[in-house]
This record gives sequence, structure tokens and C-alpha cells, in this order.
Amino acid sequence: MPISQSRALTRVFGNDAVELRPSRLGKGVIVQGRLDAEGEMHVHGVVLGRIHVGRLVLAVDGYIEGDVVAQEVRIGGRLNGRVFALKVELDSTAAVTGRIFHHTAAVARGAVIDGRMPWRPLNFFESLEQLPEKQP
Amino acid sequence: MTMLRSSDNLSDSVGGKSTKNSDATASANPLGTNRSPRSAQPVSGQEVSSQRPMTSLIGKAVKIKGQLESSENIQIDGEIEGDVRGLAVKVGSGSTINGTVYGDEVELAGTVRGSIAARKVVLTRTAHMSGDVIHQNIQVDSGAFVDGHCRPEFGTSDTKSPSRVQPAATSMPEKDPTKKPNGGGA
Repeated sequence: MPISQSRALTRVFGNDAVELRPSRLGKGVIVQGRLDAEGEMHVHGVVLGRIHVGRLVLAVDGYIEGDVVAQEVRIGGRLNGRVFALKVELDSTAAVTGRIFHHTAAVARGAVIDGRMPWRPLNFFESLEQLPEKQP
Repeated sequence: MTMLRSSDNLSDSVGGKSTKNSDATASANPLGTNRSPRSAQPVSGQEVSSQRPMTSLIGKAVKIKGQLESSENIQIDGEIEGDVRGLAVKVGSGSTINGTVYGDEVELAGTVRGSIAARKVVLTRTAHMSGDVIHQNIQVDSGAFVDGHCRPEFGTSDTKSPSRVQPAATSMPEKDPTKKPNGGGA
């Protein structure tokens, strides 16, 4: 499974292999636009736009408005948009409006979901480079 | 349950940051993830703390198309197409910004195509700056590439200051997520 690799992801930049530290968007950060990343991204701030990332952690005080495509998503904050992820974890503080396309999911008691959680097979996520603009 | 347990060490970054939630979640969490907000190290904080408290990090493999605004310090190692606003902005070597960088202090070790408007500007020896630099206080190390005007006009003209950046909390919609609307979704 590709999921487990996302923790200690290394990549070669130029001549040296660098271990990717998780990127972090702090509390006071607002990103408007597209966000593409490999590795892990922790969002404590606000993202208005699409996110494509290896592993996304949305912290309690974070807010995302837009679609999220990731291998693995952990949500503790608020999200307004669609989620496409193999593995989805919703913490008890999560509040999601929109569909959550997943292969495996864990939802803690207290999480608020306004929308459906459709299951999709593995190959649906593997071919998910281009986001389906129409609702699949 | 097993799935959540595998990432228990993440619980600090998700659940532990706000103390107001940790009490409620500890009791209301039936899945048994131990959220001990004080004992666990923040996942992102191990290396970061060795430098100085860096509030935001845009990593190497990150690309942003659009605006990035912050009321805090930012370290940018990735690629940004668009404007950046922050308090202290550090542009690491190997990173690229196509757009304007606004800040109080801007330290450039990477590439900027656009302009910089900041009170204090430091161009290190790996810096590559194509465009104007509007500053009050500038330091250019030997080896830095500068193609553009350096004007000490920061604060005097109508350059946009980073103080325009609003804290994130004020811009977030204030609706209470626990209050459900009339079930219209999907």
C-alpha cells in the first residue's frame, strides 16, 4: 500500500536526497489558489482552493474550502468541499460539508458530516490525477 | 480503531493544539486514541524548533498557484506562482517565487521573479532577484544576483504593507459547524 510510505518520504533534489519535512501552514495563513505537494501537509490556517497532496492533516483550527485529493487525509477541522482519499480519518472535532470519496474510513464520534461518503475501489484513486469535475 | 491508533503520534497536531477541545475530545472519543496534548511532540516541530519558532513551512515539494497570505512568519522552500504576504518571509535556496513578496523582513536565498516590498531585505549570496526591491533597509551579500531597481521607498509610497494581512480567524466564516442546516447535502 502506498499509504504507509508517506511518513518518511525522501526525494532527490539535484544531487542529494532530502527527507521531506511535513509542510505546515500556520494559523495565520491564508492560501488562495491551488496547492500541490508531495509528502505531508499540515493545515492550521485557511486554504481556499484545491489541494493535491500525499497526506493531509487538517488541524482543529484549520479550514479548507475546496476539493482535496490525497492518499491519506486526517481531518480535525472544518472542510467544505469534496475529499478524494484512499484512507480517511475524521476526528471528533471534524466538520465536513461535501462528499468524502474513500477506500477506508474511520469516523470518530462527534464528527459532523454533511454529505455522503461514497466508497470507491483502489483503482479509482490511482487514476485520480485529473479531478473529475462532474460529480462521479 | 486500529487505523487511528497507527497515527496516534499525530494526535497532537490535530487534537492537541487547542486546549478547549482536548477535554471534550478525550471523553468523547470512543475510538481510544490517546490524545495527550502535552506529552506528545508535534510532528512538525522536531526539526523546526532547532532553528527558531517557524510558524509556517512551505516544503520543497510544494507548489502553490495563487496567493499566500500570513500574519506570521513563513519559510518557503517550494514554488509559488503568485504573491506572498507575511511578517518575516524566508525564501530558502532552491525555491522559486513568481510574484511579489511583501513582508516586514524578507530574507532571500532562492529565486524571485517579480518584486520585493519589505522594510528589511536581505539578499544572501545564493539569492537571485529579478525585479525591483522596495525597502527601507537592505543587505546584499556578495554573490547575490540582482536585476532591477533597489529603491528605499518602503513605507513612503503606497506600497502595500504586510499589516493589511488579517489574522486568519477573522476571515473564516463564523458559522458553527455543529449547527446543522436543514440537511440539504447530497
